[in-house]
Amino acid sequence: MTAAGMLVGIVGLRLNLRLAEPASLGLGARVLLAALMLGSAGLFAWRGAPIARAIWGSKKDTDLRLRPLGRRGWRFFWEVLCQAKVIRQRRLPGLAHALVYWGFLAFALVTINDLAEGFGCDLLARAGAFGAFYVAFAGAWALLVAFAIAGLFARRFLARPKWLGEVSLESGVIALLIFALMATYLAMLVVPQRSPAAACLWWAHTLVLLAFLPIIPGTKHLHLLLSPLTVFLKRPEFSQLSKLEGDEEFGLVTGKDLTRIIALQAYSCVECGRCTEHCPAAATGKVLNPKEVVLGVKAYLNSYGPGSDAPLLQDEPEGRQKALSMPAAFACTTCGSCEYQCPVGVQHLPVLIGLRRGAVNTGAWEDRYGTKLFLSLERQGNSLGMGAAERDKFIAKQRFPLFDGSQEYCLWLGCMGSYDPKGREIVADFARVMQALGTSFGVLKKESCAGDPARRLGNDLLFGELAEQGLKSFAQAGVKKIVTVCPHCLRTIASDWREYGVAPEIEHHSEFMARHAALLERLMVGEQGGSVVYHDPCYLGRYREVYEPPRAVVAMAGELVEAERHRERSFCCGAGGGLAFLGEEAGDRVSHGRTRELMETGAKTIGTACPFCNSMFRDALGEVGGAAPPQLLDIAQLVARRLPAQALDSGELKG
Amino acid sequence: MSAGVLVVMETKDVRERRAEGGAAWHRVSLEALAAGQMLAAELGVACSAGVLGASAAIAPLAAELSARRLETVWAVGDDLLAVYTADGWTIALEQLIAQVEPKFVVFPHTYQVRDYAPALATRLGEVLIGDVAAVQMAGEPREPLFVRQWMQGKLNAVYRHRKPGGVCLLSVQAGSFRADAAKAGQSQVLEFAPKLAAEKIRTAPSEPIREAARTVDLSVAEVIVGVGRGIGEQENLKLVENLAQALGAELAASRPICDAGWLPLERQVGSSGQTVAPKLYLAVGISGAIQHLVGMKGAKTVIAINKDAEAPIFEVADIGVVGDLFEVVPALTRAIRG
Amino acid sequence: MKIVVAVKQVPEREAVLRVTPDGRSIDESDVAWTMNEPDAYALEEALQLKQRAAEAGLGEAEVVVLSAGPERVQSTLREALAKGADRALHVVTPESGEGSLAERGSLDVARLLAEAVKGEQPELVLTGLQSDDLGAGQTGVVMAELLGLPHATLVLQVEFAGQGGVGRRIKVRRELEDGWTQFVEVPLPALLTIQSGGNRLRYATLMGIKRARQKEMRELSAATPTQRVDEVVKVSPPLRLKQTEMLTGAAEEIAAKLVERLRFEVKVL
Repeated sequence: MTAAGMLVGIVGLRLNLRLAEPASLGLGARVLLAALMLGSAGLFAWRGAPIARAIWGSKKDTDLRLRPLGRRGWRFFWEVLCQAKVIRQRRLPGLAHALVYWGFLAFALVTINDLAEGFGCDLLARAGAFGAFYVAFAGAWALLVAFAIAGLFARRFLARPKWLGEVSLESGVIALLIFALMATYLAMLVVPQRSPAAACLWWAHTLVLLAFLPIIPGTKHLHLLLSPLTVFLKRPEFSQLSKLEGDEEFGLVTGKDLTRIIALQAYSCVECGRCTEHCPAAATGKVLNPKEVVLGVKAYLNSYGPGSDAPLLQDEPEGRQKALSMPAAFACTTCGSCEYQCPVGVQHLPVLIGLRRGAVNTGAWEDRYGTKLFLSLERQGNSLGMGAAERDKFIAKQRFPLFDGSQEYCLWLGCMGSYDPKGREIVADFARVMQALGTSFGVLKKESCAGDPARRLGNDLLFGELAEQGLKSFAQAGVKKIVTVCPHCLRTIASDWREYGVAPEIEHHSEFMARHAALLERLMVGEQGGSVVYHDPCYLGRYREVYEPPRAVVAMAGELVEAERHRERSFCCGAGGGLAFLGEEAGDRVSHGRTRELMETGAKTIGTACPFCNSMFRDALGEVGGAAPPQLLDIAQLVARRLPAQALDSGELKG
Repeated sequence: MSAGVLVVMETKDVRERRAEGGAAWHRVSLEALAAGQMLAAELGVACSAGVLGASAAIAPLAAELSARRLETVWAVGDDLLAVYTADGWTIALEQLIAQVEPKFVVFPHTYQVRDYAPALATRLGEVLIGDVAAVQMAGEPREPLFVRQWMQGKLNAVYRHRKPGGVCLLSVQAGSFRADAAKAGQSQVLEFAPKLAAEKIRTAPSEPIREAARTVDLSVAEVIVGVGRGIGEQENLKLVENLAQALGAELAASRPICDAGWLPLERQVGSSGQTVAPKLYLAVGISGAIQHLVGMKGAKTVIAINKDAEAPIFEVADIGVVGDLFEVVPALTRAIRG
Repeated sequence: MKIVVAVKQVPEREAVLRVTPDGRSIDESDVAWTMNEPDAYALEEALQLKQRAAEAGLGEAEVVVLSAGPERVQSTLREALAKGADRALHVVTPESGEGSLAERGSLDVARLLAEAVKGEQPELVLTGLQSDDLGAGQTGVVMAELLGLPHATLVLQVEFAGQGGVGRRIKVRRELEDGWTQFVEVPLPALLTIQSGGNRLRYATLMGIKRARQKEMRELSAATPTQRVDEVVKVSPPLRLKQTEMLTGAAEEIAAKLVERLRFEVKVL
């Protein structure tokens, strides 16, 4: 006997636990059991079949690639088996959920054995050392699960966090069933062998089990079965949008446009509400509720089935489909918090942006500001509708060299860096940092918008034109490396442009400065600038997972302070998703909330790494900043301020 | 008759004139008159003027014109000219030009002239040289050259009329010639009865209307005074309101002013408000955040008053005043009111 | 009902323009082109009329978009098709030299367009108030005269009056100066020039572009040019470039200087 086997044996003996066996069943009882099992399975199949059809009958995801499998495997291990996301986002309830989940896994063997036993077959060989150990092991889990489920029950029905939405009877029934399964199992550990009590408990346990199975489809507990698959099959990239093919694809217009992955994710939703809890639109009273949008897709599939011609956005939707509306789709800042938070692998952004694409690509979306933005991009090629001559003037004033192939970097200005007075200051300060480091750079003679607002608002025509134009100008200028101060340009050029070609390597100025930290520190003079609270831009953090470089840069210039929500959980400034261009928000402003949060740290300076965040906070500070607002600086400006004057070129300082 | 210059005068809306109890010229007509006189003087030819309308209505106008330095005042009267129609004006002027045989016909560049003068020119086998900002004399023998703007003022184009024996039609831009430069003098009034037939007038205009309670539509305003955070307090808005009134301008504001509720949201100019394209945008105490700039960059002329010399508004301004708006604005209001 | 919309392709508003070496026209070699914005409003009005005609039970209206110019104008015509026009007519002129748009005067260009309109026999011809490049503001009215059609300019709003069929009248509201407007009844067929800003322009969509590929674009050859009546002698940038001029002095002095400028340069007093 191996050491492990001995250990198991000892544990079994020590605890001396034996699972009470019912007296073996007679033929009648066996027939009854078989009938019940068939009935349960049949009911499960009958209820599950329409769902399977809705998923399988939806459009094939042409862009789904399973490779690299390693990454998918790791995510499956971490998010499903380890329940890492569930625990991380909500510690106690998350842990309780994980216990129930692990308990279920532990019980798989017990459950199979339980049913087999009905037919007189002890698969587990409970008398053996392993069997004895497993019985005890499962017993321990049963205790934990019973406690956890009771806790979750109390949370749902007594504490009632608002994110869970209305109290659902279904959850209560499921909790009771799980509790009953655990209780009967534990009771079987203490009643005498082959006693009538044992038989009663066995039947009770088995009946609960058989009742549980058919309940699963059609309820959110379907996630038990689907979410492992959903997590495994998730689109690999954040906010990944599929290419529109052929002459009839315009985004999510009707049920025909819903793909299998979208359907699978919708049916996997566990209605925990994490997405809505962290949604900046929902938090400020906008009409968007990401959880309800996902459930809206599910409700649509339930009503119309897959491949339907019925529009997804209806004039007078009923029931849960109400959440699927144009105002909701266009209230999204695309901050990606929902997608990041979701424990079952639902990806909201392709749905929300997909709905926008459907509405914009067919011309159904009519919005004064949106139209103005699109016309500016069509006519002037930049999101601010400014004349290219204004950019020329700025470049001339700053004496930025034009990129001619001899320089190492192409400095991409972006719309904000080209036209916004504050954006220009940021670009100018970053250029000074590059000059101080002796890095050669040039700017493009002409630059159009990278296409971020067009992409996020679902205007594929415009986005395609801008991407192609951008790729062409980089190719013509012979650019190899790009650096930019704008995370929106960064993401769009690095990821979204891929639909049209390969862009040169691009990095954010935070990454550039962090890489040169050692040299920069040697160049720096004077005192550190006091405390700086760093705000993670969505498009740098969640979209690109760049968290450390900007912090390293901030640490060079001052004392880094963290806001309550930071890194992956950072809260949006309100500008993303093209919303910076769509006029004033109704109700509370996202930027005001975030600005207050940053101010609560008491930091002397708010450090930003995105010209859009900077612009939003600048406006918000005017409103909520009070008498002595903190100063607002980009990380490039933090660095530039500590560089000695002589290290800088004689270029103009002001934008 | 002489081969000189004929100026076609335009009258203001008839009902307004009645209210004023006298003849009212469209302001630009008098500028056109000055231009015509100047052109005639340069060329050493005579200048005449014509006015169209119902005979009774134009008699006092023609009488008033006779006190100008003109050769002849043509009173073109007919009941079918009682209200303006493109057909009526085109037919009557075609006949008048045939009678007068001028070398040059000068029009004020008004909405009305834009409506009929191109048709008249076409009927004469000519082209209207429209919206002329300046007249230059050049060459030997001296001939007039006409300066027009292309690409919204980004380029100046100099035009010349070259059809031998033709008549050159031109309309002058408002404000390009000084109405007070029109010379006084004496001239004869001749009546001209055009041959008009009712069936030749194809369109049927109705009485002009003016919507009484117009909601603020900054996008069509010609002159806008924009006010920003620099105004400091709500009470100070009065200063800017007075200035706007003196200028006949609409009042607009940057976002902070509307956010604070000092002015209604419909007066907000910028990315979350209105987009405007006035002839003049006078920015008072506006620093020039991009959100505001994108809303008013279409203005033809921008004048900025701000105490911060580094304010970005000066980047887009044509004329900048670095100074205290609490001094400059009242002074400007007084100066405009004269 | 058939509506022809005449549109022009012009340099982008923000384009940096150079003058040709002979100093008489714009150097077109490095210019980005776009649809003349006032014409975009005319197109928008035509598209809305089409929709309104259908809603009013006046039958299916056809919107035909028309432009004259070299090959490049097809991009503007395609844009119009993408925004909803049904068909396009392209009067092909040479890129430069004799017969090009720059060489033909506004009368001759209007003639080219009028010839193309004649072949269509539309009930309505729409065009923008003026072009953003040369700003003559005449093409519409000249076309009406050449076609023998009644016209109305600066139209803000078009209403159908009475029943359908040629010979019926429409009622339009046109803009006068100083905030006045006026209704005018015009018999069909007629030509209208549309005031900018009355409608909201629509953006181009992917669906529109894809549908536009199947729409007809017919090329028409241009008549030989006629002798020009006027001539462009010289083109040059204005002397004063947009450069901020800073006024200094006491408040009263500044005010006096400003008033002078407001009166004679800005021309608003």
